[in-house]
Amino acid sequence: MGQITATLTKTIKEFIRQKSVLFWTIVWPIIWVLIGSFSYTGNAPAEVVSYTRGAIAISMMVFALMTAGMANLPGNIAQDRERGLLTKLMSMPISPWRDFVGRILALLAFSSVSATSVVLVGFLCGARFSYTLIEFGQALGFILLIFIASAGIGMLISTFIKHVHGAIMTGVGLTVVSAAVSGVMTPYTYLPSILQQFAKTYPISSANSAITYLLVGSEYAGYNPLSPSQIALTLTLSLLVFAVGLITYSKLCWRKD
Amino acid sequence: MYAISAENLTKKYGEKEVLKDVTLKIEEGEFYALMGPNGSGKTTLASIMASVRLPTRGKIEVFGKQPETAKNVIGYVPQENFSSSMLTGKENLLYFAGLLGYSKKAAERIVDELLHRVGLSDDANKRVTAYSGGMRKRLEVATVLFPGMKLLILDEPTTGLDPSARRKFLGMLQELRGEKTTILLITHIGADAELASRVGLMDDGEIIAEDDPESLKKASGLETVINIETTVKSDKVVAVLREFSERQIVLETDVGYRVFCPDVDEATPEIVRSLDAIGCSVTKIEGETPSLEDVFFQLTEKPVSEAG
Repeated sequence: MGQITATLTKTIKEFIRQKSVLFWTIVWPIIWVLIGSFSYTGNAPAEVVSYTRGAIAISMMVFALMTAGMANLPGNIAQDRERGLLTKLMSMPISPWRDFVGRILALLAFSSVSATSVVLVGFLCGARFSYTLIEFGQALGFILLIFIASAGIGMLISTFIKHVHGAIMTGVGLTVVSAAVSGVMTPYTYLPSILQQFAKTYPISSANSAITYLLVGSEYAGYNPLSPSQIALTLTLSLLVFAVGLITYSKLCWRKD
Repeated sequence: MYAISAENLTKKYGEKEVLKDVTLKIEEGEFYALMGPNGSGKTTLASIMASVRLPTRGKIEVFGKQPETAKNVIGYVPQENFSSSMLTGKENLLYFAGLLGYSKKAAERIVDELLHRVGLSDDANKRVTAYSGGMRKRLEVATVLFPGMKLLILDEPTTGLDPSARRKFLGMLQELRGEKTTILLITHIGADAELASRVGLMDDGEIIAEDDPESLKKASGLETVINIETTVKSDKVVAVLREFSERQIVLETDVGYRVFCPDVDEATPEIVRSLDAIGCSVTKIEGETPSLEDVFFQLTEKPVSEAG
């Protein structure tokens, strides 16, 4: 089987058997897709309503990816640490890197399921998207950046917050607050200028805007997130957060005192 | 070659020295129990041997190698319940089989064997949340029974188990002992330590005595102990009992006290009378052979575990 497959299988099973994980990562974003689709579209023309629903579905998909990386991943790691599994693993002839890869692949598989479910519900609620195949491929790239940035933040949380509930609450708190102030849950144009600046810098919200821009339309993104400098910033910061999270996790979580 | 050879091991956390120049040799195939109260340094010592912690100074070898390079033969069961309650017993063991590099087919076969060996075949597909404390501990011990493990380090495996589960668990350890596996049992329970071929008594970061259980008892000079169950426990009762005890030391237990007294027949009626005089009824009193807890108490004047 190998260490990566073993860790992947174990982590996926733990994710799908925990009701709180399923709720926060799949049910909660779907509830907001439903609320958003039927409450906030007012008396706008039908086409605008459909595209607005599309933008809402994308935002909630991003929220699901954020929750998975920033709350589920640290919750899972903290749980393993709290119950002594990390201690047990440290006594075994195994590699922290393979453990990490197994966890990340499990998170990727679970996040894909949750993101697809959220978008599917949005689609059933009348969300409309407009894209070419190339734009769809580019959007997938930005989804991947959101995934790795969230996982990086999740690994940082799991390294420094030792207890399960603390790690989960910190992750959920960070997800909700950062999504609210960065334009993931609020239209970019409604944000004050200082938060607009933050929205462009925070890699998750800038990637969210890029996906909206690509799949729904430029007017729903609020600014051009696909300028070369903006793409470079989003890409660099996403990779940086991931690298810092990965190094911190593998050095500190597995450190022998 | 020694299974474990530790020389002058010292471990400091900040200024606090939790291990003080510990030297310990455990022969291959030996069943060694390390017994001491909470905070005596047992778990720290075990975790250094299991390559989970590093010593501040000193030398440690497992089968002639650094613990880090001997991980493939060390099976460590930490004190905590590390199995995943979200998975079934079988899934937990398959996870460990995967970590150890077994193919899917081989993992299935070995895991089924291990489940049978620890008596969990019938409950293999139940989630661990449905397991009792004893079942869970047996499952966790199964994680160190994969082929090739030569040294088992078990940290307080019977803590929290009911008497029946504890007996089953100890029976399993006895079977392992017959297989020439080296076992290091960390415990604060004298009856568990008595199963070992050698016992090290640990207090305040040092091994204060080490021998086979019978020799430790003989060396302590204790011949008999009076076990007394009383209706009340108080300083007044202890003061009375001190008068009957060698070196005036009295060990408090869950239900009363233990008094170290050479002449049980003579002292028993006197003890009952004296306690009665201060309003304390004796519900049970009997002479017993000393336990390892008594030996530890006699050496340190500290109980191995706090009386409840």
